Amino acid sequence: MWWKEVLEALLYPGVLYLSLIALLFEWIDRKLVARLQNRVGPYYAGPHGILQPLADFLKLLSKEDIVPEGTDRLLFAACPVLALVITLTAAAFLPLAAPRGLVSFDGDLVVVVSLLTLYALIVYASGIAPPSRYSLIGAERAVLMLIGFEIPLMLSCLSVALAAGSLRISDIVARQVERWYVLGPHAVAFIIYLIASQAELERVPFDIPEAETEIVAGWQVEYASWRLALFRLSRDVEMVLLSGLAAALFLGGPLGPAPPSLGWLLPPIYFLLKSAFVLALLSVLRASFARIRVDQFIAFCWRYLIPASLAYLLAVVWVM
Amino acid sequence: MAFYLPVGPQHPIHPEAILLKFKVEGEQVVDVDIDASYVHRGIEKALEYKTYTQGLYLIERICGICNVAHSTCYVINIEELIGKEAPPRAQYLRLILEELARIHSHLLWLGLAAHLIGFESLFMLIFRDRELVMDLIEAMTGNRVVTAYNVIGGVRRDLDDALAHKIREALERVRERTRYYRKVLMEDPTVRARTVDVGYLSTSEARELLAVGPVARASNVKYDVRADDPYIAHDEVPFNVVVYDTCDVWGRVMVRVDEVLEAIDMILYALDHMPSGDFRIKVPPIFRAPPGENVARVEAPRGELLHYVRSDGSDKPYRYKVRTPTLANLMATMQMLKSRGDRVVYVADIPIIFGSIDPCICCTARVLIVDERGRVIETTTDELARMKRW
Repeated sequence: MWWKEVLEALLYPGVLYLSLIALLFEWIDRKLVARLQNRVGPYYAGPHGILQPLADFLKLLSKEDIVPEGTDRLLFAACPVLALVITLTAAAFLPLAAPRGLVSFDGDLVVVVSLLTLYALIVYASGIAPPSRYSLIGAERAVLMLIGFEIPLMLSCLSVALAAGSLRISDIVARQVERWYVLGPHAVAFIIYLIASQAELERVPFDIPEAETEIVAGWQVEYASWRLALFRLSRDVEMVLLSGLAAALFLGGPLGPAPPSLGWLLPPIYFLLKSAFVLALLSVLRASFARIRVDQFIAFCWRYLIPASLAYLLAVVWVM
Repeated sequence: MAFYLPVGPQHPIHPEAILLKFKVEGEQVVDVDIDASYVHRGIEKALEYKTYTQGLYLIERICGICNVAHSTCYVINIEELIGKEAPPRAQYLRLILEELARIHSHLLWLGLAAHLIGFESLFMLIFRDRELVMDLIEAMTGNRVVTAYNVIGGVRRDLDDALAHKIREALERVRERTRYYRKVLMEDPTVRARTVDVGYLSTSEARELLAVGPVARASNVKYDVRADDPYIAHDEVPFNVVVYDTCDVWGRVMVRVDEVLEAIDMILYALDHMPSGDFRIKVPPIFRAPPGENVARVEAPRGELLHYVRSDGSDKPYRYKVRTPTLANLMATMQMLKSRGDRVVYVADIPIIFGSIDPCICCTARVLIVDERGRVIETTTDELARMKRW
């Protein structure tokens, strides 16, 4: 039935569901970091401020849309939309509600990872669209960062795929029933993945492209109104995507003990809990460090992260 | 491919209006010029129209954070001018408040430094513990920020045993927390990555460019007005001048942390050895100062603060001049902000290097040069350097 597929893509587990989860994850992240920093965090909108991300989103939509003089208008309009589309597309591969994602085919892991790379290029394009020096520096930094974190991110995914013998996310999830338990032997790849995805998400200690005290807001400094709202939503969806991918690759995704009668209800909950756990790890990382410089980040990646991920990949090949 | 990167007059680095004009190549800073003349409030001129007592209230409002340093310097200056001296108990009370203000200023700066390198958690926690000191200042003087505690001839309030006990208890807590932050700042790898060997200022440069305060002491220049030219009770209360020889931002961080610990010891010592007696002598609200001039110096949290007064025998100063530590440190800052040889300064280092002098711009800009046709001439940093030695 074609309308059922359309409904799935638009409502559950598609765009609407993903967006709501994304806003929920933003709230978890903000609240957790606030508590770690001895602050209250979001409080007023909804119970314990759970609606604050939604309120922020709606308020941004109502703001004045400012386009600076000399802006590349096409890029300026296209980038926020593309950013959201790319992250939503990539998130459609996640096994959010069932062992299979909304879209699933052989090699879809490669597609997800390359969409993540594409996202970094969108960041670059959005940085060079307005004629601002801060956003130009932010865009440069985003591309430099890509050189550092992309390889370990891919290699850590690849080592799991090798161990599972498939590049299809649903296969990797399925193999985890037989081969390893939650997290299992891939803790090293998991840690590398966490660090790389913290960089992909531009969060402390790797919030280098948008470093507030250095270059104001980096590549997004000139964006306002709906453009900024879409960027922020796409960032939240990316957060779901990366923590969800970690849950799928390392923590068994939607799998878990379930009585047959609840088989339809529990997998989405398992998946959310596992992704939220990954998110919590990312939030703790965000609260525990200072921001490092871009040259230090590249050095860190090429000295430690990339050799470690290569060595781990070789170890997986050796064991297989 | 160099281009100019304006930082300021409005920028998250600093809430006050200052313009740092950077010439950058990619991520590297090539050159810098500083324009500090955005905020001219005419305080020195306004002081000439106020009596000496009224001037005290104005002088405290030069700066919120170092208002105690300004008022201490002012009252010492005027007391020396009119030849009166506050009683010993008042000197001790002034010292206690001065050191409390130093703790609060240094903790505030440590929090801001953490914020400048993106360490938000440390920023929040340090600001939480700074509240302990703010509460003490409020309990002692009645105000949190602008204390209005020093008056010509003494202080406005006495300190009783209950309050002394409260101060002792709270300071033990502050000491414990500060020791913890000291450990964090010494050991955290990301903090070290951002501060060690950043913003280099050699000992000879610090001497040549007349750096003051923690900036000089982090460059191994043992210079502290409290030790070299003691005022109030500093010749009676022992303390160590904290000096680091790392010559970088990390050294400036550690100087300030250690000075917080020193200040706690000084306050506890002063509480134990407080002389009894009056805490102020009566000075009439309006008085005429004998003709003459006087200079007073204090060690503000940011460095040496200097006040100059000239009297023509009336009840108002003929001229009052303030030289703040930020102005003294601007030249050194320009040296730190330039890439020199293999010491590269990155754009990412700008906030913490500029922040490492604990800049306070509203104190700094008080010069506007107008030529004979009434045209405003832009004040360059070279001219500021000459003015600094007025």
